[in-house]
Amino acid sequence: MNIVTIPLKNMRRKPTKTLLLLLVFLLGVVSIVALYQVSLVVGHSLEKKLTAFGANIVVKPSTETLSVSYGGFHMGDMLLDVKELQEAETTTAIRSIELNDRISVVAPKLVNMFKIDEVAIAVVGVRWEEELGIKSYWATDGAFPQQPEQILLGALAARKLGLGTGDTLTLQGHHFNISGVLFETGSDDDSVILMDLSKLQQLAGQPEAVSFFEVAALCAGCPIEDIVSQIQTNLPKTSVIALQNVVNQRMSSVRFVQKLALSISLVILVTASAMVGISMLSAVNERKKDIGILRSLGYGQSRIFLIFCLEAGIIGLLAGSIGYLAGYAISLKALEYLSLTDVARPVFSIAQLVVCTLIFPLITILSALYPAWKGSSIEPSQALVSL
Amino acid sequence: MLEAVNIQKSFSSEGADVPVLKGVSIRLEEADYVAIVGRSGSGKTTLLNVLSTLVKPDSGALNYRGSDLTSAAEKQLNTIRKSDFSVIFQFHHLLPYLSVLENTLLPFMGSLAPVSRQLEQRALKCLDRVGLADKARRLPGNLSGGEQQRVAIARALVKSSKILFADEPTGSLDKKTGEQIMQLLAELHGDGLAIVMVTHEPAYADLAQRTIELEDGVIAH
Ligand SMILES: Nc1ncnc2c1ncn2[C@@H]1O[C@H](COP(=O)(O)OP(=O)(O)OP(=O)(O)O)[C@@H](O)[C@H]1O
Ligand SMILES: [Mg+2]
Repeated sequence: MNIVTIPLKNMRRKPTKTLLLLLVFLLGVVSIVALYQVSLVVGHSLEKKLTAFGANIVVKPSTETLSVSYGGFHMGDMLLDVKELQEAETTTAIRSIELNDRISVVAPKLVNMFKIDEVAIAVVGVRWEEELGIKSYWATDGAFPQQPEQILLGALAARKLGLGTGDTLTLQGHHFNISGVLFETGSDDDSVILMDLSKLQQLAGQPEAVSFFEVAALCAGCPIEDIVSQIQTNLPKTSVIALQNVVNQRMSSVRFVQKLALSISLVILVTASAMVGISMLSAVNERKKDIGILRSLGYGQSRIFLIFCLEAGIIGLLAGSIGYLAGYAISLKALEYLSLTDVARPVFSIAQLVVCTLIFPLITILSALYPAWKGSSIEPSQALVSL
Repeated sequence: MLEAVNIQKSFSSEGADVPVLKGVSIRLEEADYVAIVGRSGSGKTTLLNVLSTLVKPDSGALNYRGSDLTSAAEKQLNTIRKSDFSVIFQFHHLLPYLSVLENTLLPFMGSLAPVSRQLEQRALKCLDRVGLADKARRLPGNLSGGEQQRVAIARALVKSSKILFADEPTGSLDKKTGEQIMQLLAELHGDGLAIVMVTHEPAYADLAQRTIELEDGVIAH
């Protein structure tokens, strides 16, 4: 028997009203928790899908580059002492950073120039599996190479060489079958020949050599700078560059999902809080008698205020704890329904549960502040009129 | 013990100030028993509420054991309301959702510290004294008017108040029940409790040591 007994028993006396109020706020909490969990997973899966549209980090050998411009003519960059990267070693280094769970694709590339029928053309060696992971927009009239002896031609390169799908191309005495020609992409890929990386390394006599790596990182949870700096630490002799515009574009899509969820949550929260506030406010008048009795027994304004806040707090506490559990369960179901559970699962965390059981009582108390103030500022003499 | 000097109080109704108490002075000794009588609307309830600090007078002084309550801080008033003064209204003195026992202990439930076992025992004793020991766990809703009245008296007993203010404590009761309540009040007065009671019943007024008659906001005699 203490001051909490008063609001508790008062709520118990009007079970339907209390349950209804609890239900309204509970619904609010449940939808916020579920929305939060779902938006995290959806954002995550969205980002994963977006990585299929290109890398956002480039790892290349650090070079001493001199930009030469003379008499108004730009003479290009003179590269001194170009070092190649080692494929296995570098891949391991990138994959073993602390944030390695954020690394989605590591695509190595070797670029070499060849002359075919007096046409100078770049041949790019790739790991097909990785490459297709970040170039899902690629389409070809034939098929993507399955064997080392098969190659893919960029649209411009095919036109220039006068070759097409099914034709054979001879490079340094090796015969390659053109498995397909890429539809125009508008990128550098249009003017190159793409082949298996091992094969090109062998042709160039540079086993293990890689010109640069394209990395697709998921950066929903952490800034890309962290990933970049961790790779840089592992590979001090390379230059690691974040493609900021790609990152920003991608993050803005992910953030949009989260912002949408956040604003819907806010609307729900404000509505639920308003319901609590209005319900409490309407109870102030009907409880004038109670207030009069309590005031005549020496309950000060602060005590009356406390009783109202406790009542609201109890609602928030129940709604917060039950709501988190229910919201989590519902988000699981919803993600199963959206068949997204394989991408990521919502995380059940005791910390979040604790936060919910602290935050929501605070919110209900906040929304009860005005009614509580109103109730506590009733003078005993005013309350007596209703006795 | 409690002395009201030249109390004035008016209420505004429809824009005009209607004087209800026009300079009432009254002195209450330890273990006093005063009955206030008068026609309906003469200001009896208002006077009782001013004496019990629930209504602030417009002017005049209210001295209780050496301090002026009209200018006292809210905190001091709350302390006095909690321990020294008890009020019994005509109806509604109980919170309907608390049991009889909880209602009896209500003055001590104002903090997070739970009510002590001793106090609870004492409350049960006081309920026993007013004949409600077997109904301690009931809700007020299924008590008769007289029983509810007695719960309020038991509450005054648990507090060991100095003064009991009762506004027509028998007003809503039948004759027999009313007499039981008056009997109980007489006993408590015998134990040293000071009582100020508003009543319409001349027979009950005669039980008091003194009778004050209010007429149109002033003491007639
Ligand atoms: N809070 C208030 N606001 C306005 N007028 C009031 C208020 N309380 C009392 N009055 C008026 O003051 C006058 C005296 O009221 P009071 O209740 O003191 O009379 P009473 O002697 O107790 O009457 P009764 O015997 O009917 O209970 C009445 O005219 C009443 O209408
Ligand atoms: Mg009256």
